[in-house]
Amino acid sequence: MKLSSSAKKQESVFGHKAVPYLFIAPFIIFFIIVYLYPFFQTILMSFQRIDGPNHITWIGTSNYTKLFKDRNFSQSLMTTFRYAIWDVIILTTVPLIVACILNSGYVKFSAFFKSVFFIPALTSTIVAGIVFRLAFGTLDTSIANRVLALFGKPPRDWLMHADSANFVLILLTLWRWMGVNIVYYISGLQAIPPELYEAAQIDGANALQKFFYVSLPGVKPVLIYVITITVLGGFAMFTESVALFTQKYAGGIGRTIVGYMYQVGFYKSNLGMASAVGIVLLIIVLTVNLIQLIAMGFFRKEN
Amino acid sequence: MGNKTKKRILTFLATALMVILAIFTLAPFYFMFLSSLKPGTEMLRNGLSFTFDPAVSSFKNYEALNTYRDGIYWDWYKSSLILMVIQTLAGLILGSMVGYGLAMYDFKGKNIVITVVLLLMMVPFEILLLPLYQMLIRAKMINSYFGVVLPYLVPPFMIFFFRQYCLSLPKEMMEAAYMDGCSDFGIFFRIMVPNMIPAYGAMTILSCMNCWNNLLWPLIVLSNDRKFTIPIGMATTITPYGNAYDVLMPGAVMAVVPIVIIYLFAQKTFIAGLTSGAVKG
Amino acid sequence: MKKMLVVLLAALMLVLSVTAYADDEPIHLTLWTFQELHLSLYREMLDKWNADPANPKLDIDMQVMDYEDMHNKLTIALQTGEGAPDITEIEISMYANYLKGDIQLAALNEYVEPIEDHLVMSRLNNYARDGKYYGIDHHIGATVMFYNTEILEEAGINYKDIKTWDDFHEAGKTVLEKTGKPMTTWESSDCWSIYPIVSQHGGDWLTWDNEVVMDSDVVIDTLAFMKSMLEDGTAIPAPGGFHHAEEYWGWMNAGGCATVSMPFWYLNRFTDYMPDLAGKMKVVPLPTWADGKGHKSSQMGGTGVSVVATSPNADVAKAFIAFATLTFDGNVNTWKLLGFDPILMDVYGAPEMMEPNKFFDYYGDEIFDEMATVLDDIPDTAITDMYPTATDIVKSQMAYDLCYSDKSAEEIAKECADQLRSMID
Repeated sequence: MKLSSSAKKQESVFGHKAVPYLFIAPFIIFFIIVYLYPFFQTILMSFQRIDGPNHITWIGTSNYTKLFKDRNFSQSLMTTFRYAIWDVIILTTVPLIVACILNSGYVKFSAFFKSVFFIPALTSTIVAGIVFRLAFGTLDTSIANRVLALFGKPPRDWLMHADSANFVLILLTLWRWMGVNIVYYISGLQAIPPELYEAAQIDGANALQKFFYVSLPGVKPVLIYVITITVLGGFAMFTESVALFTQKYAGGIGRTIVGYMYQVGFYKSNLGMASAVGIVLLIIVLTVNLIQLIAMGFFRKEN
Repeated sequence: MGNKTKKRILTFLATALMVILAIFTLAPFYFMFLSSLKPGTEMLRNGLSFTFDPAVSSFKNYEALNTYRDGIYWDWYKSSLILMVIQTLAGLILGSMVGYGLAMYDFKGKNIVITVVLLLMMVPFEILLLPLYQMLIRAKMINSYFGVVLPYLVPPFMIFFFRQYCLSLPKEMMEAAYMDGCSDFGIFFRIMVPNMIPAYGAMTILSCMNCWNNLLWPLIVLSNDRKFTIPIGMATTITPYGNAYDVLMPGAVMAVVPIVIIYLFAQKTFIAGLTSGAVKG
Repeated sequence: MKKMLVVLLAALMLVLSVTAYADDEPIHLTLWTFQELHLSLYREMLDKWNADPANPKLDIDMQVMDYEDMHNKLTIALQTGEGAPDITEIEISMYANYLKGDIQLAALNEYVEPIEDHLVMSRLNNYARDGKYYGIDHHIGATVMFYNTEILEEAGINYKDIKTWDDFHEAGKTVLEKTGKPMTTWESSDCWSIYPIVSQHGGDWLTWDNEVVMDSDVVIDTLAFMKSMLEDGTAIPAPGGFHHAEEYWGWMNAGGCATVSMPFWYLNRFTDYMPDLAGKMKVVPLPTWADGKGHKSSQMGGTGVSVVATSPNADVAKAFIAFATLTFDGNVNTWKLLGFDPILMDVYGAPEMMEPNKFFDYYGDEIFDEMATVLDDIPDTAITDMYPTATDIVKSQMAYDLCYSDKSAEEIAKECADQLRSMID
């Protein structure tokens, strides 16, 4: 983290040495209580069998070995990875394209559309789940199957097959979060100095070239941010699958890692094993995000 | 002339595409609203129907919200509002303070703190649920509003955002104020806070949004059904043995109202705030 | 600090209020449930209780919570001894969790034993350990067949002629041929199709010693039968995956299919969610197995009403739940208000049970005519601590594979049984 020269100057200008610590004190206290202590507690619990606060047994790595023997867990890993990969691809590209179109000046009432796309993020997913469930129903008369019929395709049980269920989940996620990412991207696009586009125009760049050589590098910081939160959201997804599958994971379809953790921890009251699931999830999310940040050159820029 | 026609065609195509997307976005709300006017069995009878049928539609379901379990829905509403206000205020005040501290001062350990904040934005909060819950039990804070807001008091994403925002503000004003004999906290509250209004606008929306629809954690903490929030209360109308659609649908419509109002009011500052904030990361 | 004070004060007041109530002050009890429907029974019975001057006055705070959440909170409250209610309902598949180690629930033998011969005891055994009864159910949950007579008549079939499952399958072929509609649906994401029929056939998932019998011959035979109906189209997977899906209700309501087998408590799903079938549906005991194996019905689902042993008012709480769930009056109201099949056999055939209500309007007057004949032949189910795991496997694996995979009945049963065995150690 580099400091501006004026900030350096302030250090000498501003009074007491303890002052900055007073400003960040709330975070330090918060961090210890809400993150650090529970984090170590989760690690400890993942090596325990817990039958109540006074019945704790140390069982070594048994929670982990059991976890990887459980078919439901490996299935939930598969489900989560499949979802997260598509989530990152779709949830970063589609809103970026829409944001570019909205920002291009060709769209009338673009402010209105921006607000409209944002509204789903403000609502509870549960009712949306009912709508999507009905739209992608089993019956020939469901909307999705009628669309298939238009193309001469036979109807299908959308939510009963892993791939199509994943498609519906992605669609629900896109519906819900597209507007938020659009707003992020637009804020990034608007921060690009117009001179850059003008220069590109003079150099004879077409729309596509402008997108790749001006817009894309310009929104890169936002892109990194969006990818980071999408990776987190993708791997920790729970609400969308609850809305769609109401915790009925027939054939394991729709059961994500967090869904599995919730079932093990609360439904079967196996807190130790649920903690082990949490640790595995944390390792996955951190690994994927670190790889992503390195690939995007985030740290190069920082140093 | 060719250019003008081209532009017109492009405008038409781009706008048409947005209209289609907007229809896709709004259709579920339209359905939700229509269903809230009909008896629950109508929805089951006709599935996903987008036709308005005046013969079976009325605002009776909305009146039922007042009588359903002695008007418990409005208790949930009150709970949700209280929690939203506490959580958002705490997040804004503490988040901006910490973010400001990290942006404006140089001190030992600063880089470590910033790295920790960034790292926390990548930690799935879900994995901390169980120990946090046990902690609340020991502290006897189960079923308290404080227990619900505790993990959101100083949200890392707000710290990050406010820090970015502060970095973009001119330092000269602060220096001038300092020369005039203003204390550090005086500068923060009197000079910086007014200058960060767009950032507050943006974070107000994100915070209200997160809080209003938060399901998992409040569900775990609250145990008195009069203290439930709307999402948890609504979850009790969804049982393994059939849902109370007559309450669910109008309840969901009413639940959208305050958050959309907040959004519409703060929308301008929201986008402006995001533009000058997170982007420069 | 202030917070702590408030908590302390509140605790103090609570202690005072329960120990030192004056004679005219009602005793305050808390009741937890995840099923709002049940409250109407408690309210009715509470009024009756308080109307009798011989009873101490009661004031019950009835709390409705989300299903998973309520059980989770109860577990924690019992473990820590903090914040438990006086009376709680516990869903049958969760019940075993509360019968581990030091049991925190109060035994109800003093109320159950005197009338043992009058109760369907297989129901109470679900909530018992070592001869002590800890919970009372609202219903038997006898599995029944719901027939859509309109569709059957169109195919020229009288539902009364269907005696065995083979008859049922044959009738299904006729229905499919004449009307193009399936005879029945099997759930692909829940257990209410497979489990009741397996249990009726004499099978189960576990023994009381946690031995896995999920791949016994009886289970395989039952699955093979169900699969054969799927293969010739007389059965299809339930639209929406299970018999509580919005899609299923809409489709069934429009006459999508001729029958459905579900526990008795499904009666109010038809009245509430499928209003257009009023007057067309009949409730009849399940067909039986031609091989002579099995039972007349099976008991499925349910909720045990229990008293927390450490409650300072445990005695009066026990007396009240016995009053609400074991008396003649309580059982009649269970039928009238909830539409359940009561566990007290005395009420079947009693005139009080025949008073008009929405269920008679919907299904006709003969609901109980044949029901009474199956009460003496309802098997137990082994509700052990592995029962939640077993049902989870049935819901998420067995039902799905039955409906959507090419695996044979034997493969399905073996795979699920192995999965269950690997979870027991």
